[in-house]
Amino acid sequence: MRRIYFLLFLGLGLVMVNSQSTWAEKTYINGIDANFPPFAFVNKSGEPDGFDVKAADWIAQEMGFEVEHRPMDWDGIIPNLLAKKIDFIASGMSITPERDIKVDFTIPYWTITQVFVVGEDSGLTVDSILHGDKTLGVQRGTSEAEWLKEQAKEKGWKFTLRYYDSAPMAVADVVNGRIDAAAMDDAPAADAVRKRPVKILGTFGMEPEKFGYAVREEDDQLLQTLNDGLRRLMKDPYWQELIETYKPGE
Amino acid sequence: MYESLLVITDALPYILEGSLVTVGIVLGAMGIGLFFGVPVAVIQVYAPKALRLVAGAYVWFFRGIPVLVLLFLFYFGLFSLLGFNISAFFAAVIVLGLRGVAYQSQIFRGSILSLPQGQIKAARALGMSDLKAIQSIILPQALRLSIPGWSNEYSIVLKDSAIAFVLGTSEIMSRTHFVASRTYEHLPLYLTAGAVFFALTTMGVRALRILEKRVSLPGYSAHS
Repeated sequence: MRRIYFLLFLGLGLVMVNSQSTWAEKTYINGIDANFPPFAFVNKSGEPDGFDVKAADWIAQEMGFEVEHRPMDWDGIIPNLLAKKIDFIASGMSITPERDIKVDFTIPYWTITQVFVVGEDSGLTVDSILHGDKTLGVQRGTSEAEWLKEQAKEKGWKFTLRYYDSAPMAVADVVNGRIDAAAMDDAPAADAVRKRPVKILGTFGMEPEKFGYAVREEDDQLLQTLNDGLRRLMKDPYWQELIETYKPGE
Repeated sequence: MYESLLVITDALPYILEGSLVTVGIVLGAMGIGLFFGVPVAVIQVYAPKALRLVAGAYVWFFRGIPVLVLLFLFYFGLFSLLGFNISAFFAAVIVLGLRGVAYQSQIFRGSILSLPQGQIKAARALGMSDLKAIQSIILPQALRLSIPGWSNEYSIVLKDSAIAFVLGTSEIMSRTHFVASRTYEHLPLYLTAGAVFFALTTMGVRALRILEKRVSLPGYSAHS
């Protein structure tokens, strides 16, 4: 009995030590929200894919490091970065002052606007959503969720916010008719329009935002590597190819 | 309709691969729970008061906090503070395991208490030490009696393991979530995930049922 306990202990210890030593290589781990097509998602064969994933792959090859994309929950992605579970975030993250306090951002690589998405046959307008007694879906932990909450308080808007794990889930509920509209970045909205009976209503007054890669504040070297990589990528023909493949602008 | 089926057949291998991760988390967590749950139960019944209090405090702590909070507390807090950089998978195994110790110890404690305690006195009269009596008389009976409760615990941990996706493990639920985000076929995909969990629960509970019959002693059962 005692020997069994001892052996199990030893086994558990070995497994843990092993899982740590695989860490040491010069591989950077990119945390992605795989619920964010077309910037980051999991493709048919189960591999991480998307505009940001392929861009990070290119940069890794150009700058000479290995990259592993790790899909995770958006809610926990910055804690994961700070706890060193991942090394950077290239996954459609808007550069905001709040986030900038905790992490460092690379140069911006994409400008994004926030839009309302409603059902195909909906007669709603941006104004009627903002001022009417409507329900509005947002992804938890996003900049648009934060902005809508603050502005509603300030301006006395009467909509009710419903929080979702991802933008596609909010779209699903728009289609179900459970909420009147959903607010999200224009790129995933366009993705939704291609796949579901919804339409984009347009922007609702939020300033356009810029996407950047996030790194830990002390990781100056990685920040510089990513910045160099991004600059080279955006001058390379591959950048246009990426834009055509993933259509993040439509 | 046809499209939904196509999405499911496309996604099934990917989701099933996730069931390996789920099974890994569950086996690890149940293993830790069994390994430490038995001693904790024995301590709670037989040990001196000071030790009983410590074991009681442990159980109290892990039963009183939602598993999501425990996961965040350990993964982002404690493990990082102590300098362990363990993967999300092992963090899930350890946290669900530590919580399992608390729950499982109560299953074993119940079984131990259901035994006539005169058996210990009888063992003493035969010259056995208490520890020896617990090991060779009490536990063999108590563990057999615990299998039904343990199988219940298995089905709970199996489904609770889905919460590990907040840490970034790619088990059944997170994989389903990813495919749903790409294809917008939420309902058929979550039904599929439900079916996978259902199959895993059924298989595990069946296996434990068989074990229960295998190890049952002739003429000895809880209701004889």
